[in-house]
Amino acid sequence: MEEVINIITANIHKINFNYGKRKIFDNFSLQIPEGLSFGLLGGNGSGKTTLMKLIAGLEKPKSGTISIFGTDSIHSVRSKIGYMPQQNTLYSDLSVFSNIDFFACMYGLHNKPDRKKAIDEVLNTVGLYERKNDAISTLSGGMQRRVSLACVLVHKPDLLLLDEPTVGLDPDVRVIFWEYFKELTDQGKTLFITSHTMDDAVHCDRLIFLKNGNIIAENSPQELIKATGNSTATLEDSFLYFNSLDNNNDLC
Amino acid sequence: MTFARTIAITKRIVKQILLDHRSLAMIFAAPLVVMSLVGASFNKNPQLLNFVAPALICTFVLFFTFILTGISFLRERALGTLDRLLTTPVSRADIMFGYSISFFFFAFIQSNIILFFTIFILDISYQGEIWHMFIVVILMAIVAVNLGVFISTFAKNEFQVIQFIPLLLAPQIFLSGVIQPVQNLPNLLQNISKVLPLTYGVEGLRLIMIDGSNLSGVSSQIFALVIFASIFVILATLTIKR
Repeated sequence: MEEVINIITANIHKINFNYGKRKIFDNFSLQIPEGLSFGLLGGNGSGKTTLMKLIAGLEKPKSGTISIFGTDSIHSVRSKIGYMPQQNTLYSDLSVFSNIDFFACMYGLHNKPDRKKAIDEVLNTVGLYERKNDAISTLSGGMQRRVSLACVLVHKPDLLLLDEPTVGLDPDVRVIFWEYFKELTDQGKTLFITSHTMDDAVHCDRLIFLKNGNIIAENSPQELIKATGNSTATLEDSFLYFNSLDNNNDLC
Repeated sequence: MTFARTIAITKRIVKQILLDHRSLAMIFAAPLVVMSLVGASFNKNPQLLNFVAPALICTFVLFFTFILTGISFLRERALGTLDRLLTTPVSRADIMFGYSISFFFFAFIQSNIILFFTIFILDISYQGEIWHMFIVVILMAIVAVNLGVFISTFAKNEFQVIQFIPLLLAPQIFLSGVIQPVQNLPNLLQNISKVLPLTYGVEGLRLIMIDGSNLSGVSSQIFALVIFASIFVILATLTIKR
């Protein structure tokens, strides 16, 4: 039997993190394999965004380690990471092009012709080429989300950290995005995605159900559904199933 | 530190402010309005204006630049754009110098409006060289830019930045020789005035404008302002945390 060796893109090892007195992660560990779309599903306050921020280096664990591409020094690999936050943190008075151009420059695309080529490419990917000269403030929320995504795709990172990337997108655009995400993983890129919606989560290669900073289940969406023992179950049913199992464990 | 990133940050901020026409108009109009008011209020007593002008120039440069910088940088922190920027390979020094250069660009405009309006429109009498005054005023603006970025760390919204005005700027007006000479203050307050940048700006500009000193005559004041600017730029850089 052929053994599959997974290369680990991000290794989170026994981290502890708290906001003030509120504990978010207690001895939390997770490995994110290369070339997969790795989904993180959980309710409000389960720790999804905090985990994203920890991996992106915006927060530091109180103890434990996070290594990305084999190094604990995130600064040395930042150009290989793209972090898209939950909010559309863009410069609203600047144009679509200027925003992407700025982040391209920050990610190290200093050669102007190369940068322009990369921006045009990514504008086509998110379907906003025609709106490239429009100010961000004139775009709809969904369009701003697309610009936000373009800003982290422009430098072709190997690891994409996407916090709720499809919120506010039209269903057809959402489908296009997931097709594009699949292309990225086929190219060997790693995607770490948080989501609230089951429709999105089902597209991931692998899923984690997160509750109160703990992993309550981890597997492919199909296996997680199968684990419920119900042939007609949905991913939502699966989430509720594992949630209830965890509640029962808590009671015990 | 990467020069290209610093320049990109500078260009982005300058572009943002240039696109914000109302803010841009205020940057030009506010010092003009205030200095016109100063001129009108001293209309019957030009001798007094000659004496207070150096102090007023420094005070307004500090005041306007601090507000411009403090609020602009706070907006970056509050909107999350600074956090997003910090996830890129950019260094803290890139960010700090990018912001300082761009804010200084507008502080430079405001400072020159204040200085040249006072000299040529209010027509005050002065002794020293204009370019010597210009150097002191520009150093004062650099101190204020770095102070504004540093102080924005301690505020969560614009309202809190404004609260720093009575806390940081008002004591400087009372203790830095703007209203009365520092020598007339109690010993304790005289000592406090030594750690206030406005003291050196006011002293330096007075020495040039009233006593006709040249740059070597105000070298200690210039040195002090350079030290303040350096301390604030280091403190501000350290506050930009990932």
